[in-house]
Amino acid sequence: MNTAFQGNEFFLDPSRCIGCKACVQACAECGTHRGQSMIHLEYVHRATGVQTAPVVCMHCEDPTCARVCPADAIKQDDHGIVHSAAKPRCVACSNCVIACPFGVPKMKVELDLMMKCDMCYDRTSVGKKPMCATVCPSGALYYGPRETIGNLRRETPVNEFQFGRQTVRTKVNIMTAPDVKALPFEVLDFLPWEGKDFDPFELSRPGAPDAASAAVWDDAGLGPRCSGNCTCH
Amino acid sequence: MRLPNRSAAIAGMVLTLGSAAAIFLGSHGLRDFDPALTGYAIGALMAAFAVGYRFLIWAQRPPARMYFKRGLELVFRPAGAAALAEKAPRQSMPLPHGAGTLGYALARNFVAQEFIRRRGGLRWIMHLCLSGGCTLAFAITFPLVFGWIHFESFADNAEMYRVAAFGVNVDSFSVHSFKAFVMFNLLNISALLVLVGLVLAAFRRLTDPGERATQSFAEDIVPLLLILAVTATGLALTVSYKFLAGRDHAIWAIVHMVSVVSLLLYIPFGKLFHMFQRTCSLCVSRYKRVGATGLRAHCRRCGEDYTSAMHVADLKTVLDELGFDYRFSGPQGEVHYQDICPACRRGLLALNQGRTIGR
Amino acid sequence: MAKLTLSEEQYIELYGPTPNRSPTYDFHDGEPDKLVKTHCCFCGVQCGIQLKVKYNKVIGFEPWDEFPVNQGKLCPKGVLRYMQNDHPDRLLSPLIRTEDGFRAAGWYESLNKTADSLKAIQDKHGKDAVAFLGGASMTNEKAYLNGKFARIALQTANIDYNGRLCMVSAGAANRMAFGVDRAANPWSDILLAKTIILTGTNLAECFPILTDYVWRARDNGAKIIVIDPRITPIGRTADLFLPVRPGRDSALANGILHVMIERGWTDEKFIAEHTHDFDKVRELVKKYTPEVTEKLSGVPAKNIIKAAEMWGPAETSMLLHARGIEHHTKGVENVLTYINLVLATGRIGKPGCGYGTITGQGNGQGGREHGQRCNQLPGGRDINKPEHRQFIADFWKIPEPELPKQGLTACEIIDAIERGEIKGLLSISINPLVSIPDSNRTRAALEKLEFFACIDFFLSETARYADVVLAGSLQEEDEGTVTTGEGRCVRLRNSVPPPVDARVDWWIIRELAKRLGKEKWFNYSKAEEIFDELAAASKGGPIDYSGMTYEKIENNMGIFWPCPAPEHPGTPRLFEGGKFHHPDGKAKFHAYEYRPPAEDVDVEYPIFFTTGRVVSQYLSGTQTRRIGALVDQYPEPLCEIHPLLATKLGIENRDMVKVSTRRGEITLPALVVQTIRPDTIFIPYHWAGKKAANQVTNRVLDPISKIPEFKVCACRLEKVAAPPAKANAAWPPVSLENK
Repeated sequence: MNTAFQGNEFFLDPSRCIGCKACVQACAECGTHRGQSMIHLEYVHRATGVQTAPVVCMHCEDPTCARVCPADAIKQDDHGIVHSAAKPRCVACSNCVIACPFGVPKMKVELDLMMKCDMCYDRTSVGKKPMCATVCPSGALYYGPRETIGNLRRETPVNEFQFGRQTVRTKVNIMTAPDVKALPFEVLDFLPWEGKDFDPFELSRPGAPDAASAAVWDDAGLGPRCSGNCTCH
Repeated sequence: MRLPNRSAAIAGMVLTLGSAAAIFLGSHGLRDFDPALTGYAIGALMAAFAVGYRFLIWAQRPPARMYFKRGLELVFRPAGAAALAEKAPRQSMPLPHGAGTLGYALARNFVAQEFIRRRGGLRWIMHLCLSGGCTLAFAITFPLVFGWIHFESFADNAEMYRVAAFGVNVDSFSVHSFKAFVMFNLLNISALLVLVGLVLAAFRRLTDPGERATQSFAEDIVPLLLILAVTATGLALTVSYKFLAGRDHAIWAIVHMVSVVSLLLYIPFGKLFHMFQRTCSLCVSRYKRVGATGLRAHCRRCGEDYTSAMHVADLKTVLDELGFDYRFSGPQGEVHYQDICPACRRGLLALNQGRTIGR
Repeated sequence: MAKLTLSEEQYIELYGPTPNRSPTYDFHDGEPDKLVKTHCCFCGVQCGIQLKVKYNKVIGFEPWDEFPVNQGKLCPKGVLRYMQNDHPDRLLSPLIRTEDGFRAAGWYESLNKTADSLKAIQDKHGKDAVAFLGGASMTNEKAYLNGKFARIALQTANIDYNGRLCMVSAGAANRMAFGVDRAANPWSDILLAKTIILTGTNLAECFPILTDYVWRARDNGAKIIVIDPRITPIGRTADLFLPVRPGRDSALANGILHVMIERGWTDEKFIAEHTHDFDKVRELVKKYTPEVTEKLSGVPAKNIIKAAEMWGPAETSMLLHARGIEHHTKGVENVLTYINLVLATGRIGKPGCGYGTITGQGNGQGGREHGQRCNQLPGGRDINKPEHRQFIADFWKIPEPELPKQGLTACEIIDAIERGEIKGLLSISINPLVSIPDSNRTRAALEKLEFFACIDFFLSETARYADVVLAGSLQEEDEGTVTTGEGRCVRLRNSVPPPVDARVDWWIIRELAKRLGKEKWFNYSKAEEIFDELAAASKGGPIDYSGMTYEKIENNMGIFWPCPAPEHPGTPRLFEGGKFHHPDGKAKFHAYEYRPPAEDVDVEYPIFFTTGRVVSQYLSGTQTRRIGALVDQYPEPLCEIHPLLATKLGIENRDMVKVSTRRGEITLPALVVQTIRPDTIFIPYHWAGKKAANQVTNRVLDPISKIPEFKVCACRLEKVAAPPAKANAAWPPVSLENK
């Protein structure tokens, strides 16, 4: 147990993610996961871009998932790691899945059991790095000493999130701009609102340019210029 | 922290007094009560208090309370289930039948322990051995300890035994019969079952890298050790009495009693309490069944169906009771974070992080 | 006449591809017997990895943090590479073709049949009627051995390899510009660059490990310019994204150089002292004003200027390019026009300054160095240069006239088979049916072969046409070395023996040579002997390995060539001090006018078609389509279409669409996304049969490198009447309404 973590911390920077899924595949190799992948990685919105969202468990200081568990099945250990549901207790109610602010717990329907990222406890507890952060080829997932990442990156780590009125502090850090002390979790800007036309193709945001707007191309050349030998018009 | 929880204390007292009354009445006003088993009986009464107290403490916590409340409503007032599921298109729930019944759920989840089989074959056998062996042993010893069942040799024929249940003679048999062999050895049989389970459990705890990493002594090893102690000392009694002409029998009897009482007192405080907590799963499966046919919750962002509307509404209540407030408000309007599906929450993490650094 | 004797379904049932989903042993099957420090078999990074071995099977992996290039990092292919071992589709013995499929056969019969059949064809139709096709996923030892075998045992001129579909444009351009074919810098120089151009490289998906280098460079303040018709994951957050119209790369590079010259961002001193022919380039690019270039390339003029502003005055810079600019009938010209950008600034041969090529194949670099190509002899020697021919003839102790002359390149070999000029084929680790353009013609050619023998570990789609299949070895079943994309020669370790009756490849080649009467040239008893021989053969050549040994490579975690002497430490960075490898020590500029692709869009075929890769698949998918979790990641090809184009054609996301060109057609689901130019569609190429993108691509070759034009042709697109396809992981539902 003395070898656990050794001053290392987990740092998440989704902006570096390339969506390759090395983490997803490697996660399933971890001994505590038994072939099940616990990390999440999905396109944010493939229609408009290739941005992907890798999400590991943030290991909240006061885990909402554990508090909403009716069966006391989710335990946080002395290192602050929030573990998968205890098998004898979990009643597969999915409260944790629906309540987690980061969308982390996974309900394994076939096992009647909630499983979640436990920071590769079998590895980190003996001084190894978690699988996902070891293999991640983009540095989106990083595990190491705080000083090291401080020297490497321009972004700085925070472990506080503001979800509307709720402040959530976590063990895992997220990289953000140096002046940000708590990551503002804005939701309203990213939702469709009544009376406002919500065209997914016009969902503009930083980092997801439209190839058409960056290019010069001939509108007349598209499609209808066809000779009529095909059925395209 | 409040002072000792009153309703929990009452529940503990009720369970204790109830047990005491059951002992008194079941043993014919203590006539059939075996004084040698007094220690066990006192241990059982103490455990009853602790279980009752602990159960209520747990069941009062907002999430468990919500499920028990809903579960009771759904089981006893099936017609009202539709109302609970937020005016689902289906007007009334059909009365439970077949796979929907409580009996089915009990058989599937408590007797056959189907869900454990799906988590692993060997695990399932291990758990069946442990739970089956323990249940069998308790099913024999509690009635004996409480004096509900009483064995007595005929006054005229020491070879013949009479069985009395609640003071009424129900059976008699010869000590040389097969029935007698089974009767007298049922505890040993249950002990052997438990031993098989213990060996399998020990193997798993020693070899499975995942278990080895996450198990803790107090939570996972202590209950196994306690069960082992009870089983081993129980078998030691048999050995002493059968093969060693009762040598050290008195000592073993005391050690066995101590181990049994320790196990009983451990139940409410550790891993083994799950046998009571799993009652919640009955409510949950009913809840999910009703939720699946009732009104669904659609993600405020992507429109996807992600759970039942009842579940979202109940969780909002539970979160409020727990002191969490995931509400957002701005010029556009108000949103509760529970109205956004988990996948969109993950996407929003990337979007918000990207926005702070312009990517 | 090698027609298929079974149905597609029957082949799949018997030989796969079967997606392997569970490891041989359970995930918690205790401790492995050993951990073998070796390398991943997919792509030219050659990431260090430790394979877990138990009961002589590879059962898993453990990251190898100490290997300096990837430091434990892996892409999903690397994570799951172990699942190719002990695979249900693995060929366990030689196979001989029968009336209905194949039968298992012994080595004696199979080798004799192969040697006799090839000999019979050669006796009747001449030596060159038999061709040899190799691969660039194999070790340096095998690349050397293939060349030697073709020239000494088969005595055919027609030996080439699948690097002809991959690396040759870069190789030819490097030789023309610098006199040597290697990336100029170790990857670690990326970290020191202040401006990085990534052109025609989907780096994050094809060379994922380098993503970290690029991001770390950005952490150090670098500006990233990505040039691609698609917004790839590395392009999404680039500082400047130039969505070039397919086939217009040389115009764009000329346009950027125009601005640089105009603004005075050239290093005239360096140009004068270390290069030739800049004047021709200066003259040529005069007319490539931003406006002209915008018209040609489809990149806005202001962004062309911006690119020049980022690249021109930068303190240090790296150019990284890949097939996006190389897979063209002007692939060599494209590369040379980009190299002009490097040479004009003089930023080469210094820390953080230079260029690199993303090598898609496992041994993309080493596979092209040791004489596996029709125009090359070991040590990177030129088969047309008398002194080079003499050196190798002497080294092999054969008379120089017996050494075959330059033969046909890979695509030309397939063409010659189709014309009936080549009648016999021996191939190893190549799947031309999937990888060569215009696959309908490739199929027709394979059907015409009189005899076809194939060495492979799985029965690839091409191998179904073989008369004899010789069960060879997977990468982890043999010793050897590979040379990575940065020119670092690394050591592969034998982790497990080939299963049952499969054999290591060099043993098969040796036995064939024996039967062709050339035993004394091939008397190897282990791979190390072949390495020592190839190192000696390279002595004094352009690609010099002569100072390397297995031990030295292991001790240093790889040695960069040239390494001409035992005490030489190797050469991570080339051209230091502005010394290039042409005889006069100078580099050459090349002035190339932009010219259109072989097939440009027109009224009949109005849309650009381009191909590429996805991160979860490797080359023709012979290995990766057999690994279940990788298949799940991107199960089938999808056609990327911009919503503007899709709307005009009435196509919605998930609709089935038909893409047709003058050569063929493919029907597949549409993926409507804003990440591609509206005038272009994209299909990844890893699949076979009806799912093969190469059914529609254009087999027209670059005149110098003979690389085919995979990256641009003209197509038309239409919606077909079929139910919309189901969504999957590669392809989540994309409209918010039905997510």
